[in-house]
Parts: sequence; C-alpha cells; structure tokens
Amino acid sequence: MKLRAERAEFAEAVSWATRTVGARVTLPALSGVLIDAADGRMTCRATDLEVAAEVSIPVQIDEPGKVLLPGRLLSQLVARFPDAPVELSGDADRVEIRCGRATFHVRGMPVGDFPALPEPAEDAAQGIVKADAFSRLVAQVARAASSDEARPVLTGVKLEATGGRIVAAATDSYRLAVRELAWDADVEGEALVPARALQEAAKASSEAGGSITLVLEAGQVSFLFGDRRLTTRLIEGSFPNYSQLLPEGFETSVIVERAALVEALQRVAVVAMGQANTPVTLSFEDGSVDLSAGNQEIGDAAEALPAEIDGDGMAIAFNPAFLLAGLEATGTDRIRIELRDALKPAVLKPQHDPSEDGGTTSTDDFTYLLMPMRVS
Amino acid sequence: MRIEVAEPILHADMDAFYASVEQRDDPALRGRPVIVGGAGSRGVVAAASYEARRFGIHSAMPSVRARRLCPDLVVVPPRFDVYREVSSQVMGVFRSFTPLVEPLSLDEAFLDVRGAVRLFGPPLDIAGRIRARVRDETGLPCSIGVGPSKFIAKLLSGKAKPDGVRLLRADEVAATIRPLPVSDLWGAGPRTVERLTDYGFRTIGQVADADRRTLARIVGEALGGQLHRLANGVDDRSVTPHEPAKSVSAEETFADDIDDPDELDRHLLRLAEKVGRRLRASGHAGRTVHLKVRFASFETVTRSATLAQPTDRTHDLIDVARDLYAGLRLERARVRLLGVGVSNLTEGEAARQLALDVDQRWEDVERVADRVAERFDGVGVSYAALLDVAEDPGWYSGDDVRRLAGEDGREP
Repeated sequence: MKLRAERAEFAEAVSWATRTVGARVTLPALSGVLIDAADGRMTCRATDLEVAAEVSIPVQIDEPGKVLLPGRLLSQLVARFPDAPVELSGDADRVEIRCGRATFHVRGMPVGDFPALPEPAEDAAQGIVKADAFSRLVAQVARAASSDEARPVLTGVKLEATGGRIVAAATDSYRLAVRELAWDADVEGEALVPARALQEAAKASSEAGGSITLVLEAGQVSFLFGDRRLTTRLIEGSFPNYSQLLPEGFETSVIVERAALVEALQRVAVVAMGQANTPVTLSFEDGSVDLSAGNQEIGDAAEALPAEIDGDGMAIAFNPAFLLAGLEATGTDRIRIELRDALKPAVLKPQHDPSEDGGTTSTDDFTYLLMPMRVS
Repeated sequence: MRIEVAEPILHADMDAFYASVEQRDDPALRGRPVIVGGAGSRGVVAAASYEARRFGIHSAMPSVRARRLCPDLVVVPPRFDVYREVSSQVMGVFRSFTPLVEPLSLDEAFLDVRGAVRLFGPPLDIAGRIRARVRDETGLPCSIGVGPSKFIAKLLSGKAKPDGVRLLRADEVAATIRPLPVSDLWGAGPRTVERLTDYGFRTIGQVADADRRTLARIVGEALGGQLHRLANGVDDRSVTPHEPAKSVSAEETFADDIDDPDELDRHLLRLAEKVGRRLRASGHAGRTVHLKVRFASFETVTRSATLAQPTDRTHDLIDVARDLYAGLRLERARVRLLGVGVSNLTEGEAARQLALDVDQRWEDVERVADRVAERFDGVGVSYAALLDVAEDPGWYSGDDVRRLAGEDGREP
C-alpha cells in the first residue's frame, strides 16, 4: 500500500473514528483502525462490535491496500504531526508513516482479525433530518436513559418513525423524556438505540452540520453525515409502553420562568447534593413557588419566586438532579408544570408564548415526566 | 431556657462486666480470680475480675496464659443471653436520666445529660445517682467519667475504675491531659503509639504542640488530624442516641444440602421476602443487595450489586438476588447455606424516589401483605411459589394468595 494524504484531513479522519468508538476494547483487533486505500479514497474504520464508525477522505493512491494500525497510537501521532502531507506505505505488519522530516514505523495487526462491519442495505428505509435539530433532540432525551446495565432496555432511546414524524423517548423508570420531530421522510419503523451511541451520533452530527440521514434496519441503525457513517447495534427487548405512563389530565398547572427556577433550584440544591436521597420540595401557592431543601448534616435552604398557578396549591418533592435535567432539556424561556398530587408524576413542558414563537408552528413537542420523591 | 453545662458528657462503663455478673450470680466466685472465656487450648479471656487482674491477666489474653499466671484461676464459660439482659436493664437506667444515650457495647455508653441538670442536679450528682441506681437494680458496680467531651469522659471512666467516678472541669482539660501518655489518646492503638514513640512523641502535650502535617505523615491524614484535635482538647462529636442499622439480612442453613435449582430459588425468594419485610417494618430502604452462598464443601462466596435507588421492595430484592445467583453460573452445586442482605441503608420513609414502573402496584401489594402478617401474627400473604416450602408453616395457602402473585412469584 502506498498513499499520500492531506495532514488535517488525515488527522481528523483517524481521530474521529477512534474517538467515536471509544476505548472499550475487548479484543486486540478492536483497538485498531482499519485503513483501506482504494479508488482514490482512504477509508478509516473502527468498531467495538456495538458501534462502528467509518469515515472516508480523498487521497492520492500509488498502490491500493489495507492495514490495521493501533488506533490510539496512530491518533496520538497524527495529532503531533507537522503541517505537511502524510505518506503511508509498506506492508500490513510494518507500516511506514512519513510526515515532513519525521518517519515512523508502526507494527500493524493482521487485517483479517478486524471484524467485517455491518453496512446499511442499499434499499433500507431512510429519512433526512437537520443535523442541529437531531443533536438537540438527542440532548433533550438521552439523559433520561438509565446507566444501569442490569436493565438493558432502559439504557436505550426508543426511536419511532411514523407519519412524517420521528419520536424519541427514554426513561430510567424515574423520569421519562419524549420528543417529537418532523422529518422529511415517509418512513415507518422503530429502533431501540443505545443512548451512548446516539450521543456519539449527535456529537458527530453537530460537528458535521447540514443534514443527516438515518437508516433504520432490523437489528441496527445507521447515521450518515456526508463522508462519515456511524452504525450501531440495537438493544434487544421491548421498551416500556410509555404512552400509557403519560397522565391524561392534571389538577394544577404552573407557568414559571425557566432560568429563574433553574438558578433557585441550583442554589437550594446545594444542601441536598452529595446526598442522593435529599429531595427539594416545591410548594406552589398564591402566585409563588417556594423551594426548600434540608439536610441534617449540612443545613437547610429556601427560596421563593413568582409563578402563574392555576388550580389548588400543592407541595411536591423531587430529586433535584432529575428536576434540573428536565428544566435544562425543556429549553423555552418559560415552562409549564402540570401536577396531580404529591405522589403522582409531574409533567414538564415547554411554554410557547406567542411572542417568542417566531412564526413556527411548534406545539407541545417535548414532554418530561418526573416521578416525585415521597417525604414523610 | 437552658442551663449552660460545661461538662455535660458522661461515659459509664460497667466494671469487669461479664466477670461481675458471674460473681453476682454465684457467691462461690466472689473474692476469687475469675475469668469469663473459652477454657480450651485456644480460648481467650473475654473478661477478668479485678482479683484476676492483680495477676496481670487482662481481656484478649489466651486463657492458657492466664492460667499460667494464676494457677487458682476460675474459668467460667460466657452466658451472653444473661449479659444482654443485664445490659438492657443498665441502659434502661441510663435512659431514665436522659434520652441521649449512645451505647458503645453491652457494658458501656455515652450520655449527654445537659437536659437533665434542671431535674437531677449537676452532672457529677447525676453520675452518683446513676451508679447507685445501677447497683440497686442489678447489683453490679460501674464507673463513670464526667467531662466536656466524649474523649475526656471516656478517659476519666478508665481512671475512675473500679467502682468510682471522676470529673474534669472544661477549663482544666488542656493542662491535665498534657502530661498523659499518647496511649491515652482515643484512636491511638498499639501500632500508632509505637509509631508516635519512634518519632519521639510520648505525651499528649507533645502531640498537641506538633505540626499537624507532621502527624499526618506519621500516622496518616485522618488519624493525624483526629489525634491533633483530641490532644488539644477539641472533640465536638455529639452523643448520638440511635445508631442506625447498617444492614438487614437473613440467612438459612439447610438441614440437608440442596442442589435443586427450583428449591434454591424458593428459598432465595423467602429470604428476600423476609429481608424486605424487615426493611419495611423498620422504615429503611437499601441500595446494595448481597447474596451469600455456602457450599457443601464450606466454601463460601458472596456477591453484591448496588442499585441506582434504595429499595425496600421484595420484588426488587429478589430480582437482584436471582441475578447474583445466576451470575455464579452454578450447575447443580450442593448448597448448605443461602443468605440475602441489604446494606447502604437510608431511612425508607424519609425520602424515597418513586418509580414510574408499570409494576408500581407491587409496593402496595407488599404493604398490604405486611399489614396482614402483622395483624395475624405470622400468618400472611406471600408469593405463591412459597406455598409448598414445607418447612415454613407460617403461610396461609388460600385462593387470595394465588390471585395476588403468579405461580412463579413473578408478574401475574
């Protein structure tokens, strides 16, 4: 193999592939980046058997071929290369890398050990979404997924495509985040995507910009961003039927400034943090929301801010970290909180005021359902 | 209005507790050197009477050596049930003076009496009354130290022994403790004392004057800081009446070793249920679930898993216990003992994150079952899978039970 590549492109390709797949190496070959030079392009591939990343860049090829090089070593090298073209040459087990006046010889691994990566089928259903909308959707939903590997289905984000919309949902059984997005495709399908892989895809899509293509297939989903592709295996098992968890109505609704509530919550929660079980209590009454938290070892805190309250007053306690995540995900200047009673889930929604709607027809497209804490 | 008390902390310590109880109950032992402990070749002294101590005998010494020191020694096997009973009598006396009683073991406790001075007089008087009451009600001697802090009170009860009481005024603490040996510092065990001595620290005063970082280098960060504070008479630890439970567990040794996986699963379920009920009864919930398995070979393995949120639900406990058991990948191993436990406890009712789970109703089922068990004294509602566990006669086997839980104890 012999090829010549532009340094910045080469470095970016190698580091993206290794970074996206991460460092959970179970087999030696999985620590490698497969470099495949053919047809005027160099393709870098990396995988941990769950997620596969592939990126291709145009290069000048004198002799096509494949090598499997240690990923971390290679990305550390290229990050320090001087600004000069990169040349790769040699056999699979001894690769020479030259850049400017520097020469490296790296021992490659057997190319045959690298697993064949699943590729999306040509005729698979695909749809296109705007990259920024997609990464925002993931940011809003994926944090609600569980990190507890004991319940694999809850570590995933459920994607459902139907009738020109895509719905993403995640829950760790304490909260549930659901987001809808219009998408430019008449695709029907669903997938339970590992939250970690989806977050990588979101990161890659916000770096790439423009629009991304989602390919939904049995057992895997692929995200295509120009010359890059990320394919992830899906989680097996059935995601809870979350629509039946969403309450029908509410007793009390509250509209409050989001930033003010976030700041007050962060202050009050200082006495609750570090103690996973210390709740922050919110009392809604007489046009005000009173936040309070107490911890025998540290002390207590209270703060009040104005709110528009419709319905009976009530008090409800939450894990401050869960509430904060919900407020951050909701995004609008003002948010709406719907409550039933102190032991039933609360619903957070964006409050779209006519003035800030800016002509878009956004509806209640994000829902954050949060179970309270029971305090005696 | 509260009276300021400068020396509110008492440390009450029974004198040679086990040995005194034995001498009380057997007049023939009075005035004689007695130890309570194992008599065999590997026995150890659990307690020594003051007569025995005169021969240089002390607790934790091998019984064989004690006998060599005192050929007339009487060795008495321990009767822990009796000691426990006497202990609760003694603690009852303490609690009749103040609710702030922190037991350290069966025979010693800290008391904070600042709320009792109005009723019973100054702490030294209270100490006298307590000693008299303990002697009246149990016939046993105890010694009490009175001081401004736990450290000083404990130090003084040791100096007051046997059958005495000592007070050190708060403003005299610093000067009084300075000449004492470093071994009198709380937390300074033999190894620590040796290290301190190696570096030339022999008195508490020298430790008090030392640079804190030097101490930290010699005995470690945490202990160094603690010793430095104590040596300077600083000890703000409060008397905490209720030591919260650290774990709840249940285990069972089988009459015959079991290798049938279904039978083992039923025992696991029953243990999980027992632990869950105890958690709910005490208002606790825990995050870490433990499984203990002892095989016929006596080899014992323990496994644990930590949940994201504390639980007191049998349903959660059995899920985790089953996973842990499955993780052992046993194939018809012969099991002698099974145990299920929960640690990492928090007050269950204090604040609990509720779950969105569709199977939320398990919680209600379990609470109802607990109430039934409480009211009908053991006869209760349980998992149907347990109905044929023969050695547990407590279960009511009716149709209601089958309706509450599926045949295998999982979701109906």
